[in-house]
Amino acid sequence: HQSTSQPNHEVSPVTTKVVPGLSLRSLIDMGFTDTQAKQIFESVSSVRGGSAAKHILSTLTVLFVLGLNPSSVQKLLEKCPELYTVKEAQLQQRISNLRKLGLVEGSLQRMVAHYPKILTVPVKTVKNVVAFLKERCLFTSQQASDILRDSPAVVLENLDQLEYKFQYVYFRMGVKQSEMVKFRLFRFPLDEVRCRHIFLERRGFYQTPDKKGQTTIINPKLDSILNNDLDTFLTHVAQATAEEFDVFQKLLAREWKEEELQQGKIEAE
Amino acid sequence: EKWAATHAKHPPTRLALHHFDATYSVQLGKLWPSVRVAMLSERKYGALLNNFCHDAVLVDLQAKGCRDFITNREEDAMPSLEQNSETQAQDESSDVSLKKSDIDGRQINLSPNIKCLVFPRGDVTRFKPARPDAYGLLSYYLMDAASVLPCLALDVQEGHNVLDLCAAPGGKTLSLLQTQSIRFLCVNDTSVSRTMRLRKVLHSYVPKQFLTDEKLRITSFDGTKWGDIERSTFDRVLVDVPCTTDRHSLTEDDNNIFNKIRVGERRRLPQLQLELLLAGIEAACPGGEILYSTCTLSQNQNQGVVEQAICLARENHGIQLEAVSLRPLTQMFRNTFHFAPGLHLGEMVIPHLAANFGPIYMCKLKRLT
Ligand SMILES: C[S@@+](CC[C@H](N)C(=O)[O-])C[C@H]1O[C@@H](n2cnc3c(N)ncnc32)[C@H](O)[C@@H]1O
Repeated sequence: HQSTSQPNHEVSPVTTKVVPGLSLRSLIDMGFTDTQAKQIFESVSSVRGGSAAKHILSTLTVLFVLGLNPSSVQKLLEKCPELYTVKEAQLQQRISNLRKLGLVEGSLQRMVAHYPKILTVPVKTVKNVVAFLKERCLFTSQQASDILRDSPAVVLENLDQLEYKFQYVYFRMGVKQSEMVKFRLFRFPLDEVRCRHIFLERRGFYQTPDKKGQTTIINPKLDSILNNDLDTFLTHVAQATAEEFDVFQKLLAREWKEEELQQGKIEAE
Repeated sequence: EKWAATHAKHPPTRLALHHFDATYSVQLGKLWPSVRVAMLSERKYGALLNNFCHDAVLVDLQAKGCRDFITNREEDAMPSLEQNSETQAQDESSDVSLKKSDIDGRQINLSPNIKCLVFPRGDVTRFKPARPDAYGLLSYYLMDAASVLPCLALDVQEGHNVLDLCAAPGGKTLSLLQTQSIRFLCVNDTSVSRTMRLRKVLHSYVPKQFLTDEKLRITSFDGTKWGDIERSTFDRVLVDVPCTTDRHSLTEDDNNIFNKIRVGERRRLPQLQLELLLAGIEAACPGGEILYSTCTLSQNQNQGVVEQAICLARENHGIQLEAVSLRPLTQMFRNTFHFAPGLHLGEMVIPHLAANFGPIYMCKLKRLT
């Protein structure tokens, strides 16, 4: 077989020509290893159209300036090749917006490394979500920026869904904003939260607080409901078997489906 | 509605839940959360096969994955679900001295004609409504599969005279008729409208020639008075009493016995149950057997009523009774149902998400004198 030092035929010289100044050599000069450089090269060529390549140099520069090292840059680009197509000015705006929203150095870099998609989201969208969290859910600015830091994917969630999740946990479970932030509610899909909650409720281990915020039993903390793997949740919180929970999930999914159908019927009338 | 707000604040289902939380958490202890979540979630049905129907639905149903739990028991295929079977002798509380008949460990007679199909443990597939055959008879009757157990436990034999004292809407009557060994069946229910329903059920499942006056009598009497009408007559008596119908009370606000306006009726239930059971005991012939059943978990309505009936039958009527152990039955069906462990009198199917049948309590008494 061919030796590995030879360029892969998919990374044809044509690609190199489209990107003036981008060569394996130049990538290696920026600090990437041979393999990393090759991987970047490949992923650039996999992005369709010339626009990808047009912004690669500026994208790399912005990420380096942010303080990320070559290895994390290569990894995040692998995760999110769309970043090759974002204009430098937009990247800059988005980063400075995140800073303005209270993401301090360190957190910002970690967030970009873990969830690079955040830099593909328009400033306006991010601002809307933050305003929504503050105005509709009464989170403080600090809390909103903590949510953004810990669960950046909220920026792409449907706002109606987000509001439903908030209201469910606030009213139905009686959990305050500070706990939602502390225990990272927004990382979990709504159905998972509801399913565990209703399971506990039907077992008699969870009560919706009354108007004065009181319950006749002590509810388990949101932390123990969310941040436990299923086994731990079942043995220590729900005191149930995996078989019971398994059947319960099937039944609940069917209940929800039928409620939706019912809802649809009522609305159609 | 003016009272809509208060109405919504204390719906009967909620009152029932409060009541059950208070009593059953004590009675069932650690089992209560499991039973609670099962009762608040969708129940499972069984399809009682109609032997009078000409359509061969058994094969179809089996192809869909269900099995007749009565003939196809897989007794040893699964580990026992029962926790402790040796706690029987714990209770010496009452002055009722009960002789346990010694059929423990012996196999009991099961009618080969009663078949009831269920989907396997953990399978939540639903049955489709039954369809009529060419003669207009329906192929199966959907009911709580655990409701078949009292009928099996009654152990009807060839030529028996049988009384079904509280029979409507007729699921158990239908199971009893499947045995095809009853000489004469008396079916009674005090409610006229429910008796009408029962008639409809019988006519949709049983051919006319089995419903003639020589074979069947349907009445709407007050069952508590039965002792005045027909004493010492029947070989077998089923006393399936009205009760708090726990599952219904937790899930339906309509016609709910926990409705505030029905407090009196609810409080009087144990007394009514006692009177019905005593009437059933009187109606049985010496040597005959009586099966008491409910669909509640309540000790007061179950063991409490039976204990009192045993006492009062002796004191007021001079009738000696013996409680017949149903342990062989629970052993046979322990892979299909969850039974409450360690009841000192009778047996009880408790709901569980993976086998969401019951609650059904049953206790069998043999009339000695
Ligand atoms: C649990 S249900 C019976 C269910 C029936 N055995 C079946 O399997 O379909 C209890 C029945 O008792 C009836 N009942 C209530 N009071 C009665 C009485 N005093 N005498 C006879 N029946 C009575 C009710 O009308 C009700 O239909």
